[in-house]
Amino acid sequence: MKQRRTTRRPARRPNAAPGKRAENKERTRQAILRAALELFSRRGFHATTTRQIARRARIAEGTLFNYFRTKEDLALFFFEQTLERTMAWYEHETRLRRAALPERLFAIIQQHLELLGPNEDFIGAVYLRALQPASRLNPLSLDALAIQLRYLRFVRDILAEAEQEEELPRFGELGPHLFGLFHLAVITHWLQDASPGKGNTLAMLDRGLRVATAALKHGGWNW
Amino acid sequence: MKAEGPRGTLERGLRLGRLGLTLTGSYLGYQFQRLWLDEAEQSRRREGLQRNASRRVREELGLLKGPMMKIGQLVSMQSHALPEAAMAELASLQMQAPGMHATLARAQFKSSLGRYPEELFRTFEPEPFAAASLGQVHRAVSKRGERLAVKIQYPAIREAVQNDFKLLRSATLPGRLTGHAPASIFDEVQRGFLEETDYLHEGANIDFFREALREYGYLDLPRVHRDLTTERVLTMSFVEGLHIADWLRTRPGQGLRDLVGARLFEQFNVQIARVQALHADPHPGNYLLREDGRIGLVDFGCVKRLTPDVEELNWRLVSRSWLEGPAQMERVIGLLWGPHVSRPKARRMMTDLGGYIDLVFPRGPDAGVVDFGKPTILNSLSQAMRRAVSDKLTNPEFAFVSRAELGLYCLLHQLRARVKTTEVWEGVQQRDGGRKM
Repeated sequence: MKQRRTTRRPARRPNAAPGKRAENKERTRQAILRAALELFSRRGFHATTTRQIARRARIAEGTLFNYFRTKEDLALFFFEQTLERTMAWYEHETRLRRAALPERLFAIIQQHLELLGPNEDFIGAVYLRALQPASRLNPLSLDALAIQLRYLRFVRDILAEAEQEEELPRFGELGPHLFGLFHLAVITHWLQDASPGKGNTLAMLDRGLRVATAALKHGGWNW
Repeated sequence: MKAEGPRGTLERGLRLGRLGLTLTGSYLGYQFQRLWLDEAEQSRRREGLQRNASRRVREELGLLKGPMMKIGQLVSMQSHALPEAAMAELASLQMQAPGMHATLARAQFKSSLGRYPEELFRTFEPEPFAAASLGQVHRAVSKRGERLAVKIQYPAIREAVQNDFKLLRSATLPGRLTGHAPASIFDEVQRGFLEETDYLHEGANIDFFREALREYGYLDLPRVHRDLTTERVLTMSFVEGLHIADWLRTRPGQGLRDLVGARLFEQFNVQIARVQALHADPHPGNYLLREDGRIGLVDFGCVKRLTPDVEELNWRLVSRSWLEGPAQMERVIGLLWGPHVSRPKARRMMTDLGGYIDLVFPRGPDAGVVDFGKPTILNSLSQAMRRAVSDKLTNPEFAFVSRAELGLYCLLHQLRARVKTTEVWEGVQQRDGGRKM
């Protein structure tokens, strides 16, 4: 769809201003990602080579390595980017400010799944690998730390607000971590979900959040 | 079954709910979660518990909504285990699902139609204006400017119902619950349930009734927008009107109430005699009334098709054919209760029924207006139903129609309508050239 723009990407001009240079760099990074995603969805993650990605993005293979050392790096970048975009999206959704906590949390994960949606096959291909502790893709790995911290801070702010409004008991730092795990669990479920329109995931997400917030509100699980 | 009782079953259900049925797909789990999470529902239940006994039965059984409820309903019809009041309460139960917040409703819409509502409609209200069986209804305006009602189903209900049936079949539960429930009952109930979860089927029902009731111009039925309808989203034209309580608050005069009453009475008899199907449970929310006397019919999720026996029985009862001789009497008794019923009991029952029919369809010199504002008819009908239950003279099909009738007369009673019932009824019978014997 957008590949034509990708393939016509002009080479970097050497005498560009520093701000401009960063912009160009970012543009190349995005071009590589688009080329890669397209190839992944067409040939599969494993069958795609870095050489093919470079050719598709109209850059030298060596240039590609300046940006991403491996295909896994690309996958991590993609995942981070969808998460960044989800958080940015949330900040602009003013209607959600007035929504109850379960809806706000639902919206975050659902929006993330929306962004992952078109590249489900690719996510599915790297997902298992990502769960290996040694993988650079692992959400708990050092490489993923920066985005992870941003994400935790983002969730913590939302939960802190709910704590202030007494929608939740004081839950502290544990809350964001638990929500993060739930987020991962939902993605896992979503990848496996064969129900029409992945309706099962929507139901699980909704019910899980409602049960959890209600349980916390009513003081634990002993109901 | 005695030792466990419904209570044991119920508690087992709740335990299962705790163990995670609320998270995995289970319709039973939905019910449990809905009752537990929804505070308004909880206080309603508490009030209900204090109100009266038959309400309590309903509250208890409310927990078992879903397949359990329907099975319980079948069992109660067959074993006459429950009093009439409880059966009437049961009849008013609808399949329900948890409410959806705006984000979920929007996501579910997209999951079913592939696009977000704001892409397909000019406007779409994120908050629902009504709860519906298994989902909720949102107002919208089409790209062309037509006002619409968009019914969205809670996600994965179908799968949840299927899971419950797997559970019901695999466990020893069915045997214990019913003692002798044959597999065919489960198939039948499951089929009914899955049908109710399919909005395409509901759309087909609407088309069927629109066609069947076309010549009754005072009725307004929604028009289905096929291009925006799937199994889980039903888009239809918006039907205007007020629920009866709100409509009565506009202080309609006696003439208007009589007109609406006669029309409600007529369309009900048309459904029985000519359509041979009832559009919905006799729930007041399924009729929308207007100041010009027009009537909107909504919610075609649980259409009940009637056997030709019901039409014949209705005709024979109102025309008092059983008074014409023993053979005619036998025919009516056979239609009502089958060939093996005790004759003295059946005759006594026929006397009761005769008295009731004289009330609703008076004939002879005093034939004229029936005043539904007086409680006589309601009392008489519920008495006849009670007698039928205590004498174990019920038949599921007839019981269903009787409850629908009771629902209708409750509406007419609220309206304090005066209706020329016999005249209206005869009009319906003659509309297609009179009934052939």
